[in-house]
Amino acid sequence: MPPVNIREISIRSRVMEVLRQVIDPELGINIVDMGLIYSVQIDEDAREIHVSLTLSTKGCPMGAAISGGVENTLKLHFADYSQTVSIVWEPAWSPQFISENGQKQLER
Amino acid sequence: MNTSERPALDLYKLVVVHYLVSALCFVGLAVMLMITAGNLTGHYFHPQILAVTHMAALGWGTLIVFGAIYQLLPVILETELYSYKLGWLSLGLFIPGLTLLVCSFWHFQPGLLMQCGSILLLSGITLFGLNVFLTAKQNRDDIHQEFIITACIWLMATALLGALLVFNFRYAFLQKDHLLFLKLHAHMGLAGWFLILITGVSSKLIPMFLVSKVQKNSLLTWSYYLMNAGLLLFITDTYFFGLNLKSYVAAVIVFAGIVCWMLFLSRCFRSRIRKTIDLPMSHSVLSFVMLGAAIIILPVIIFNAVKADQKAVDYTTLYGTLLLMGWISSLILGQTFKTLPYIVWTRHYQHLTGSAITPMPADLFNHKILRAQFILFLFFTVMFYAGLFYKSVVWIVAGLVCIFMVAILYFINVIAVLLHSPSIKK
Repeated sequence: MPPVNIREISIRSRVMEVLRQVIDPELGINIVDMGLIYSVQIDEDAREIHVSLTLSTKGCPMGAAISGGVENTLKLHFADYSQTVSIVWEPAWSPQFISENGQKQLER
Repeated sequence: MNTSERPALDLYKLVVVHYLVSALCFVGLAVMLMITAGNLTGHYFHPQILAVTHMAALGWGTLIVFGAIYQLLPVILETELYSYKLGWLSLGLFIPGLTLLVCSFWHFQPGLLMQCGSILLLSGITLFGLNVFLTAKQNRDDIHQEFIITACIWLMATALLGALLVFNFRYAFLQKDHLLFLKLHAHMGLAGWFLILITGVSSKLIPMFLVSKVQKNSLLTWSYYLMNAGLLLFITDTYFFGLNLKSYVAAVIVFAGIVCWMLFLSRCFRSRIRKTIDLPMSHSVLSFVMLGAAIIILPVIIFNAVKADQKAVDYTTLYGTLLLMGWISSLILGQTFKTLPYIVWTRHYQHLTGSAITPMPADLFNHKILRAQFILFLFFTVMFYAGLFYKSVVWIVAGLVCIFMVAILYFINVIAVLLHSPSIKK
């Protein structure tokens, strides 16, 4: 088992926290609660952050706004890291991925 | 300007000009309708009714759809529009073509100007279709893409038959009754272009707007084949035999396609996570009610036409206006405020997401104006269609005053979105 890197865990949770500032412009809820963030990988040695995200559907008109928003947020809050963002389609996003908080916002 | 922004800016300009011209055409359409209100209770083959119909179908309905497809197709296919110049050229041919055609219909001068208008329109539509085909040439096996491309083929066929009909006024070379071809022309446009296109686009956008659980596309595939098969049967059978009992079969096949589409949408609706139905979506729901009303009238028209009863003409006017002023107009009046704010928002704010607090696309239009527009449209619906049904010009005019106010409010709100000045909080 690889050693637990406390610093990487801490940065990953900070990344998730700042990604809550990225709002889906159509739905008005943040992309973390939407369940669009699939993984956040930190490479402390290479000073690199990699975010894998998905979109609610292929060909989503808001796709560029969301992925651009992730890049902007990471640049703003983690300026001393290089950032990469990739869009993945497996597994396909499902409304079940929306957090309880997100569901409450959508039901308003 | 960053060179990477260039295509986005080109696309933005092309799309918003289509929305703007379409909104202007809607105001023009409302004025034309008020002027010709008294003729709406007569035969639909009337010069001013023909002018109004083409203004509604082409200036109002088709132009905004062109703009929406230019925006949507590259997103669905994850590519760029094949050519912006082709898009501008198409529009540059379409607008004078429409103007000539509508003016020459209005004064019924089926000469050179009407012929030029029809050729310009056909050219503009063909260039649009070419742009769509070349954008979609790397086929992605996507049912929504199939709907859009097939609808474009129907549109080109409609425009071609329309041009032939215009020349037939002067040279009378078509071997059958002009009104027979008019029926084919109208249904190729309404079912082939609008119905098939709206089915494809709505089944892509509505689940996204409602955040619906993923639906299988099998219903849409059925819908695609049934609609096209029913329409082809209708066109060929009506061409050879006119309206007859087999027309019911064609209508039932198209209806089955519509049922599959409605089942798909209702499943999306029932499984939606987003519970609130906003005003633009309410307009869409109303549009489907109007489509349902038109479908109910269709067998009545066939029944009376087979009996050669005059009532077929009256019901045809009701049917045509339910489709153009009810179904298509209500859909556009709502979906404009789903799509246009997003297009303008993307231009002003997309690059700022995550680094500044930006408004949402829905903040770009005036909600009070939209609410007033929706209420006035409801008044229009009740008064205008009651007037048509009971042949009351007073009620028709009262309804048309409402639709004129709807057009003005719609235009103001479109301008408000287009003139939005960015406001950013860091």
